[in-house]
Amino acid sequence: MATTHLKESAAAPASRVASAPRRPRGGRRPWAYLAPAVLLLGGVLGYPVLDGLWTSFNHSILTQPGADRFTGLSNYAAVLTDPVLLTAAWHTVLWGVANLVLQLVLGFALAMLMHQKLAGRAFFRSVVIIPWIVPSVVVALVWRFLLDPTSGPLNQLLLNLGLIDQSPQWLADESTAMPVLILLSTWKWTPLVAVILLAGLQTIPKELHEAAMLDGAGAPQRLRYVIIPGIRTSIALAGLLTVGYSVNNFNGIWMFTRGGPAGATETLTTLAYQYAFTQFDFGRAAAVAMILFAFLFLLSTVYFYLVEGRKR
Amino acid sequence: MRALGRPLVYAGALVAVVLFAGPFVFMVLSSFKQPQELNGVVNGFLPQSLYTGNYENLFATGNFALYFVNSAVVALLTTVLALVVAILAGYALARFPFTGRRLLLLAVVAMQMFPAVLMAIPLYKILRNLGMLDARSGLILVYVTFALPFCIWMMRNYFATVPKEIEEAALIDGCGHFRALWRVLLPPALPGVTAAGAFSMILAWDEFLYANTFVNSDEKRTLSVGLDSLVGQYTTDWGQLLAGGVLMTLPVVLIFAFLQRYLTQIAGGGVKG
Repeated sequence: MATTHLKESAAAPASRVASAPRRPRGGRRPWAYLAPAVLLLGGVLGYPVLDGLWTSFNHSILTQPGADRFTGLSNYAAVLTDPVLLTAAWHTVLWGVANLVLQLVLGFALAMLMHQKLAGRAFFRSVVIIPWIVPSVVVALVWRFLLDPTSGPLNQLLLNLGLIDQSPQWLADESTAMPVLILLSTWKWTPLVAVILLAGLQTIPKELHEAAMLDGAGAPQRLRYVIIPGIRTSIALAGLLTVGYSVNNFNGIWMFTRGGPAGATETLTTLAYQYAFTQFDFGRAAAVAMILFAFLFLLSTVYFYLVEGRKR
Repeated sequence: MRALGRPLVYAGALVAVVLFAGPFVFMVLSSFKQPQELNGVVNGFLPQSLYTGNYENLFATGNFALYFVNSAVVALLTTVLALVVAILAGYALARFPFTGRRLLLLAVVAMQMFPAVLMAIPLYKILRNLGMLDARSGLILVYVTFALPFCIWMMRNYFATVPKEIEEAALIDGCGHFRALWRVLLPPALPGVTAAGAFSMILAWDEFLYANTFVNSDEKRTLSVGLDSLVGQYTTDWGQLLAGGVLMTLPVVLIFAFLQRYLTQIAGGGVKG
C-alpha cells in the first residue's frame, strides 16, 4: 500500500501538487475506483456516440461492406428533405407534447391521491404503480388483447352497451392509432411521474401547510403558493424524464404497430430503426438519431443549469 | 392535508385502482380461461373454471422456458456487475475531491436522455468486432453500461450522506480504503444498493430493442423478444400468450412488493443532488 502511494505522488504532475497541496486523499486513488466505470462508459457509451456522430457524416450501408466513405452533410440533407422524416418529426413533437401534458397533469393528480391519508394507503400505492413496473412487452400483449377488433373485450363491452355499432380497428386505423398509442403510453408512464412528484410532496414540511391554513388560505391558494413551489424541482425532473423517455420510447410504438398503419405512428425513433435495420442504411439512421440526440442533450443541459446548478 | 373532501378522495382512489390495475387483474383471470371464453363466444369477467391448459400449452409448444432462463441469467449478472462497478465509482465521486466531478454529473443526467436507437448501430458494430453478437454476454455488457449512470448517481448520493468521521475512524483503526468502504460505508447505504439493484434488474428484464437487434438465435432470446415473437406467431391463441405475460410479470411484482418502501428512491434517485 505504502509503495503504491509513493509511486502515485511521484507520478503526479508537479503543477497539480503545487496548486493543491492540501489534498489528503486526492491524487490518483479515485481513478482506481472509477476505472471500471470509466472504461465501460467510455467504451460502450462514449465511443458509440462518437462513432454514431462519425457514421452520420459517412455513406455507410451494411449490405455494401468496404464502400464506406466520408460524404459530409449529405445524409442530413437527404433525411431533412425526406417527406417521411418531416411527417415523423411532426409525430414526434405531437407524441412528446401530448405525453408531457397528459402525464404531468394526471401524474400530479395521482400523486396528490397517493399523498392523502387513506385507509389502505400502502396497498393503494403499490397497486397504482403496476403499469410502470410491468414489462413493456406484457403491456403491449395485454392491450393488444383488450383492443383486439373481433374477440377483444373492449369492443365487446362497447357493443353490448350500445355505444358502437361496429368494431373499430383501434390500432389498424390511421385516424385512431396515434391517439390510442398516446393514451397507452400515458397509462404506462403516469405512475412513474406520480411517484417522482410524491417524493417531492413528502419533502414539504407540515408546518407550511398549517401556517397557510392559519392564514386563511383555501385549497387553491395552498396549491398555488405552497404545493407547486414546494415540488418545483420534482416537476422539472419529471418533465425532463417524460420528454426524454417519450421521445426515445421505441417499445411503446414498435410492439403495437411497428410504426404503421401507413406510417401513422412513425416517430423519429422508429424511423431511425427502420433506416438502420430494415434498409441497413446506417449513415442515414445515424443522422436521424443525431438530430434526436442533439435536441435531448440541449434539454438536459438546460435542466442541469436551471435546476441542479442552482442548488450548489 | 384536507385539500380534497373525503368521499371525493376515495372515489378518485377507486377510479385510479380500476384504471391502472384493472387490465392486469383481467390478464391474470383471462390466463385461466378456456379458448371459447377468450375468442368472444362466451363473455364473462371471471373464468368459468380454473383452467390451466394455457400454461401447459405454453411450456409444451414453444421455447418459453428457455427464454425465461436466459432472461434470469442476463438480469442477475447485469445486476451484480453493475452494482460492483457503481459502488466503486459512487464512492470515488462522493469522497475524493477531484476536477471533472461536475462534468461527470452532467454526463449522468445527459446519459439518461441517450436515445437507445442512436446507440444501436455502433453497439452492433462493436459487438460484432468483439464476437459478442448473438450472445447473452453481449447483452450483459450493454445492460451493465446502461444501468451504470443511474446506479453511480444513486450510490454517490447515499455515500455522501454517511459522515466522513465514521470512515476516518475506521481508517485510523487500520482499515484500508477498500475495507472501510465494504464494512463502514456500505451498510448505511443499503437502501441505495437495493434501489440501484432493482433498477438494473428491471432494465435487463424489460429491454427489447437491443435484445431484438443483437440476438438472432431463438434459443438465446430473452423473454421480451421471445414473448413479442410469440405475439406475432399466435395472435389467435390469447390464452397461451396471457399465461406467458403473467409469468413474465411475476418476478417483477415480487421484487417491487419487497421494495415497496424504497419506491420513491427508485423513481426519484435523480432528484436529490
